[in-house]
Amino acid sequence: MVNKEIVVVGAGPAGLAAAIEAAKAGGEVLVADLNILPGGQLFKQIHKFFGSSAHRSGTRGIEIGRQLLAEAEKYGVEIWLNSAVIGLYDDRVVSIEKGLNSGEKELINIKAEKIILATGASENVVRFKGWTLPGVMGAGAAQTMINVNRVKPGNKVVMLGSGNVGLIVSYQLMQAGCDVVALVEAAPNIGGYGVHASKIRRAGVPVYTRHTIIEAKGTDRVKEVIIAELDDSWQPIAGTEKVLEADVVTLAAGLKPISDLARLHDLEMVYNGVFGGWVPKHDENMESTQSGIYVAGDTTGVEEANTALEEGRLAGIAAAESLGYIAEKDAKERKDDTWKRLDGLRMGPFGEKRMYAKNEILACFPARS
Amino acid sequence: MALEQNGYITREELASFNQIISEERFKKGPVAIIECIQQIPCNPCESACVRKAIRIGEPITSLPVLNEDRCTGCGVCIARCPGLAIFVIDKTFSDAEATVAFPYEYTPLPQKDETVDAVDRTGRVVCKGKVMKVLNPESFDRTPVVTLAIPTEYADEVRSMKRRRDR
Amino acid sequence: MSKDLDDDMFVCRCEEVTVREIRQAIAEGARDVVGIKRRTRAGMGLCQGRTCEKMVQQILSQELGISPEETGTSSARPPVKPVDFGTLAKGVQ
Repeated sequence: MVNKEIVVVGAGPAGLAAAIEAAKAGGEVLVADLNILPGGQLFKQIHKFFGSSAHRSGTRGIEIGRQLLAEAEKYGVEIWLNSAVIGLYDDRVVSIEKGLNSGEKELINIKAEKIILATGASENVVRFKGWTLPGVMGAGAAQTMINVNRVKPGNKVVMLGSGNVGLIVSYQLMQAGCDVVALVEAAPNIGGYGVHASKIRRAGVPVYTRHTIIEAKGTDRVKEVIIAELDDSWQPIAGTEKVLEADVVTLAAGLKPISDLARLHDLEMVYNGVFGGWVPKHDENMESTQSGIYVAGDTTGVEEANTALEEGRLAGIAAAESLGYIAEKDAKERKDDTWKRLDGLRMGPFGEKRMYAKNEILACFPARS
Repeated sequence: MALEQNGYITREELASFNQIISEERFKKGPVAIIECIQQIPCNPCESACVRKAIRIGEPITSLPVLNEDRCTGCGVCIARCPGLAIFVIDKTFSDAEATVAFPYEYTPLPQKDETVDAVDRTGRVVCKGKVMKVLNPESFDRTPVVTLAIPTEYADEVRSMKRRRDR
Repeated sequence: MSKDLDDDMFVCRCEEVTVREIRQAIAEGARDVVGIKRRTRAGMGLCQGRTCEKMVQQILSQELGISPEETGTSSARPPVKPVDFGTLAKGVQ
């Protein structure tokens, strides 16, 4: 068994931000991530981010990823890649399958004083006839293919779902040289930002609201996609079917928080529809119902990279404070500033329901014994 | 709102948010057109403008307001808007032609003097456009800005060019 | 979507469990994700339910008229990610 002060699970925006804050304050920080490269989803976000200009907005996600990595290195954060955390046991023992340079792996158990869970979220799937055919994939998977691996998933894409992920990935698929032959949305309105929708409309993408995919057809991969209009009770209207020639179907049907480690250590969970499912209860320090275990980012409710960064900062500051690296007054100031920025990101018609959802989660936090 | 149903802004919507530039201002030369009518947490356009012609203020979800008199139509804000929602229009370009400058993040980029298909907010080709300029300096961070000359009557409609597939 | 169109569709692709089998498990008394898992193996494959759990929850909530919250979630057990036997055999540091 090895001892570490702070172990962060996940090297995405939340995990890296937490690690940087804690290490900057003087903490000994190890970040473990199961991927070969750090950065989580940041390195496939090739678009410029929204947000406050005081806070890196207008900067592309990949650039934010690079800046975070440079900062993490500067403050001496240790990062283990290709290293999956496979278990979390009583009294903060983290079991890691560490990837070695030799390509081998070894199991290491670490006794951590503080743990920060920033495990992110996974994509939801939608079922329709033929959804298991090759060519049907998550929108995030397609985004990884084009922006990280530089492989086109196909040529003609039908995108299902018009939230920001569906809109942004549609745009990026066109940037990669694919055609988006339809954006299909079951709801009467487009879910994501109008400016994202406008980008793909200008590029000629047809938008079908109140529609769904009935079937993906093909023998060894998708060749045709059948869509149909929905009635007021979300049922397909017979006779409205359209056949689209397409070889890729991308699903942007939301994400759900990854919470298996949280449940392993008996963190109390609460169901929250806005945030995508079961999330750990936490307080304003991002500390869970298990003392010394913090949560941040999409693990605590699906939002966006900016909010994940800020929540990570909160967790990192709070963990460092509880280890005595930051004085209470100083920590309070920095946490207040961070909360202010978070509040700003959770305002307006798109953000406020997440503000309410977050407040509900904070409100249900039981007093720690 | 038509934007939420169809994915593009109508002139009526822009008018209802006071985002229509006066014809008097158009007569004075190039000016920025901001087509941003949803309260999203975003403000890089505000700091992009050295003349402080764009105001968002607090809270960060406020809509941008353009000061027509301060704006010189320099176009620095075009590449800074993460939503690609700012354009610059010059209706004084010539007797019969206006220019429209817009962000264009696709390859291949058009070349100067080339004739391309100009499209409206729905992607429909409305007229031909001649490429006057393609700017892509480092400060734009990989958001090239294309300026097209088009018949003035289409200046309020043209917002991009047809994406080319020749590769 | 009509039931017969739906029946042969896979829900859990790792274990090849169809909508029909999930519905049958509900008819046999399954009331939550764990009940479905024990009867059909849905969620016991390589991805450990990462793909199908939400769809299983949807079917449960449609068939039984309960909220997604009431359909529960599978229990977490280590290892939460697949580990090679070779690595396990070397023991823990």
